[in-house]
Amino acid sequence: MTIQKIAYSVFVAFMASLFTLVSVNALSSSDPDDAADDDLDPITLEELAEHDGAESCWKAIHGRVYDVTDYVPDHPTEEDVVLEWCGREATEGWDNKRPGVPHSPRAEGLLEAYLIGRLVDEEGEPVEAATEDTDTVAERLSPAEDERLHRAMLGLPLDGRYRGVFIDRGVIQVNITFDLEDGHFTGLAYRHLAYRDDDYLAMEEGDDLYPVLVQYRQILERLEGQPVTAIFALYEPERVVDDVDGYTGATLRGAKVISAIRDALNRGVYAWP
Amino acid sequence: MPLRPRYGDLLLIVLLLLPLVVALPRLGGLGGPPELWLTWVGRVTGILGLAMMLLAAAVSIRLPGTDRWFGGLARLWRLHHWLGFGAFILVMVHALALGLAAVPTSLEAAVATLFPPPAQGAIWLGWLAWLAMVIFLAPTFDFFGQPHYQRWKRLHLVSAAALLLGLWHAFLLAGETALWWLLGIAGLGAIVWRKLVSPRVSRHPYRVEAVEPLARGVVELVLRPEGDGIRYETGQFVYLTPLDERLAAGRGEEHPYTIASAPSDSRLRIGIKDLGDASHALQTVTPGSRVLIEGPYGEFFGRRFPERDMLWLGGGIGITPFVGGARGLASGASAEGHVHLFYLANGPDRAYYQEELERIAEAEAAFAFTQHYSRERGRLDEAFLREHCPDFTEREIYVCGPPAMNAYLQRLLAGQGIPASRIHSEVFDFL
Repeated sequence: MTIQKIAYSVFVAFMASLFTLVSVNALSSSDPDDAADDDLDPITLEELAEHDGAESCWKAIHGRVYDVTDYVPDHPTEEDVVLEWCGREATEGWDNKRPGVPHSPRAEGLLEAYLIGRLVDEEGEPVEAATEDTDTVAERLSPAEDERLHRAMLGLPLDGRYRGVFIDRGVIQVNITFDLEDGHFTGLAYRHLAYRDDDYLAMEEGDDLYPVLVQYRQILERLEGQPVTAIFALYEPERVVDDVDGYTGATLRGAKVISAIRDALNRGVYAWP
Repeated sequence: MPLRPRYGDLLLIVLLLLPLVVALPRLGGLGGPPELWLTWVGRVTGILGLAMMLLAAAVSIRLPGTDRWFGGLARLWRLHHWLGFGAFILVMVHALALGLAAVPTSLEAAVATLFPPPAQGAIWLGWLAWLAMVIFLAPTFDFFGQPHYQRWKRLHLVSAAALLLGLWHAFLLAGETALWWLLGIAGLGAIVWRKLVSPRVSRHPYRVEAVEPLARGVVELVLRPEGDGIRYETGQFVYLTPLDERLAAGRGEEHPYTIASAPSDSRLRIGIKDLGDASHALQTVTPGSRVLIEGPYGEFFGRRFPERDMLWLGGGIGITPFVGGARGLASGASAEGHVHLFYLANGPDRAYYQEELERIAEAEAAFAFTQHYSRERGRLDEAFLREHCPDFTEREIYVCGPPAMNAYLQRLLAGQGIPASRIHSEVFDFL
């Protein structure tokens, strides 16, 4: 057999092997990934955060949670570097094995063996890794066109989801959530509303204090779609609330809502839109 | 032709293994489950393949003189050929092994390893390098039949692209960057020298003084150096580039031809047989026109057993190195022992140079000449050799002729128990 024939045979064998590999894969693969997602156990960031060490190391990568405790000793990289990402959103580490170089498809395959669930927020909604988006936004926007930056520099609240509370004498009285869109309120809602031992949110029509809940709700209805500055109207709640009724304006503490909203703004954006 | 080790080979082996030896500690051992040893094989073949590819390019530099570290240019081209062949096979094993290493994980991972998303450009650079390799090696390995010499030579330049892409691929994925720079510069430097620099600086201008017809389809060009001519030994060869504008073919193309003159001759004589377009056109090259000569190369008469007498077996245009040798003896070069030349030809009409060789044999005691006509006596056999040269099995033997004759004589001589180390021949086709 001449060198030419060997070279040609190996070439043909190589092409045939590649073709076989690709075609067998194409014929056998059904994409189990997406379909299976809903069947996975939901895991919140809080639960995730409990597994942040070598004794139990969970990592959230691209919206899924993996228990890699058993693999950590086998990982070729130094253990400290690997453990650094335990108990938190680790997509960034995964996508940057070296800067800009993601883990290999083989590593991706290995990872699937350690899948234990999908990452959800407190409402049970899937959490997607934000890193990629923010990264690309940061890369794309120059300081001249980054509106978020402009609002922050001027001390204006950024668009996003906010949560805040009014606490008095060690007890939460008002806990509020809202979104800002272009500096205007949307999605206002109480997550907690109470005074002394009365939980307003649990009340039903006919309860003695139910009208107070109605008044609180009216506040939110009036604020919906208004600019942030509208909260200061609540210093005089009668301007905002129609149904003062048997209660004096003084009964309704608009100041508590102002306080909770300002607390939310102070805390900063809870989640990006 | 057996590949006997030379000093240059040692240098090649060291350079070839250097990147691997440096990388081995990082790669770990060959063992463990299939995905691990396949990865090991994939990496090792990748490193060796690229090193071979770069060294194949490096040895193509064709600096006159350096080819002798490797036993002459003809042998060096064979090394080049084997290195290229090895690189081609190894890069395919490299890709396949790394792909298969991911199969235990999943088929998808295997396919994605070989054909990742476009963003992972490093892998695709490897594929482009391989594609360039297929393009320039396909004609070399006769994938689609024998190519035209000049077209093949031009296509072979795609190798530069393959080297660049392969290096880039390695820089992004492998370690040992410094070593790859070293080999990369050697390989690419050789190509730049050969294609761009050497045609301008290392070719010597000669003028065609005479074109002497020797037989039908065979001439001897007599060349007079315009400046400093080349210095050479008998049996060496040169690359000749004719500049005659009236040539029907091959003008400005270089081809290798053996020197037929003695080193002391003030003229360079080259016997040329009509074997292809270019050598056909040279039969009628215009006297007075210019040619460029690059060389000399080869070491046909390299001695391994200087204490022994010599047996020369020449046939067809393969007689030219022996003509050079005989002329050297006639011009007073000191002969190391006795020389017996057998000239193998079909018949008297094809035995060019015969008269001159007989004259030299009459004048020189150290040189004997025997003519053999296959039309009269059939193929040369052991009895004919023994009749005219009884001690032929004891001599150091030099063979030059058409490939079929060469192969026949090698068999004949080996059949007489003559070790391969005592038989010399430089076969060059496709240089």
